[in-house]
Amino acid sequence: MAFKSFFSDYQRLLLGMVSVIGVVLLWELVFTYVIPLNPFFFTKPSLIAAAFKEQLVSGTLWKDVAISSKAFLLGFSLAVIVGIPIGVFMGWRRRAEYTLDPFFTALYASPLVALAPLLIIIFGVGLTGKVALIFLLAVFPFIFNVFAGVKCTDRLLVNVVRSFGGREKDIYFKVILPSIMPYIVAGARIAIGRGIVGILVTEFYAASEGIGFAISRFGDTYRLPDMFAAIMVLMIMAVVLTEGLRKLETFLTPWKTGQEAR
Amino acid sequence: MVPCIEARSLNLTFTPKNRGPVTALQGFDLQVSKGEFLTLVGPSGCGKSTFLNVLLGLLKPDSGELSLNGKQIHGPGQERAMVFQEFGLLPWRTVLANVELGLELKGVAPLIRHERARELIQLVGLESFQNHYPHELSGGMKQRVGLARALATEPEVLLMDEPFAALDAQTRDLMQTELLQIWERTKKTVLFVTHSIEEAAYLSDRVVIMTARPGRTKNVFKIDLPRPRDYEMRLTPEFNDIKATIWSSLKDELGTKAAGNGI
Repeated sequence: MAFKSFFSDYQRLLLGMVSVIGVVLLWELVFTYVIPLNPFFFTKPSLIAAAFKEQLVSGTLWKDVAISSKAFLLGFSLAVIVGIPIGVFMGWRRRAEYTLDPFFTALYASPLVALAPLLIIIFGVGLTGKVALIFLLAVFPFIFNVFAGVKCTDRLLVNVVRSFGGREKDIYFKVILPSIMPYIVAGARIAIGRGIVGILVTEFYAASEGIGFAISRFGDTYRLPDMFAAIMVLMIMAVVLTEGLRKLETFLTPWKTGQEAR
Repeated sequence: MVPCIEARSLNLTFTPKNRGPVTALQGFDLQVSKGEFLTLVGPSGCGKSTFLNVLLGLLKPDSGELSLNGKQIHGPGQERAMVFQEFGLLPWRTVLANVELGLELKGVAPLIRHERARELIQLVGLESFQNHYPHELSGGMKQRVGLARALATEPEVLLMDEPFAALDAQTRDLMQTELLQIWERTKKTVLFVTHSIEEAAYLSDRVVIMTARPGRTKNVFKIDLPRPRDYEMRLTPEFNDIKATIWSSLKDELGTKAAGNGI
């Protein structure tokens, strides 16, 4: 009985762990006992772990993570600060929508990484160039999600606030902003993914440090365990950001808890 | 009787996009006395809700006069508050914060508005739910919050736009009786809109029947049932007679509307 309730309480966590550990073990065992490992083309978990440990101890890893994170956080924050107001403006003012929509739709749809060489020419290979590309990639999900959110704002609630004497400012802060909160979070989820692509592309292209640079350098020199260790770090960063976002979501939208369809 | 609301020959025509103009009100007249409970009944789309929204200040009439205590109405004001059919509660606010909304927009200091909101939450019997979110409440409870929110700003006139239409029959009966008790205690002027003849007869001092679109006042019935009223009163022959009289006036309008729509 006790075991059963423990299992149902933690089944999400337990099943998740079992599946991850299972895949890692299988990977290790296959390349240890079944297929002979060619270290030029592939690697296995034990070697990755050793490389990861070595990078941790030597400190190079931390430096790369810090450099890439800084660019990411700057570009991402800029996308939030710029994207949300533009999205609100476009959603609430019809003329703003008609004027801006063609541009933004074209930019959102096109592979903006194509602009990487141009941005590097303009802003250089350092922090500024990275921030510029991350910003460009991350800003559109915010603009378009917020735009959609504003469009879905309940007319009735706007009228309620007006009927109690609310002004335009009150409508923005007491109706529109809270009602687009879930849309902002959904936009952030997409923007995180695009922002990480932005880090990699600029650092692959022209950089002398950072996690993307580390991955491409290890790849070029056939140091596969080191390369996988760096990729793993990137994955961990993405997971931490997404999980953090989920926590932030329950904090920002407490009225949504318990309302999921499942 | 002191006149409170006076509407004289109001006209209002909507021009929806890609469709022909719709005349919602044409030559609409109405007088409501201070402290009176008046109900508007009429076929769907006859302009009852439109009139409430004009009175609330969210819509402007094309012509005609509308005054409250002798003063012209321009936009929303503190003397009027609406209870909405679909509740209109802000989903991200708790019961307490929802009830406070009107006071907050008026600029009342937090401590004072908390206290005032708590009093009203008590009046509608939701003390133990003040920190709940709207989605955690039943329909009846949501509308109690809507009522408390409207009363919190101490309006002189309470506008109620089919407030119980979204509730189940039993909750509806219960809410009607509670509304009467609250009304007797607070002595507000109430302007109530409904489709239900029974509800109109039970609650009101006067029932105004409106014509099919464009809406005008057709008949006015004074309901002389003694107060306080209770549920048992609805089972008496007198009550049934009143319902029958109202129905005979209303049914022609329903017919006109159906014929007009080609049904």
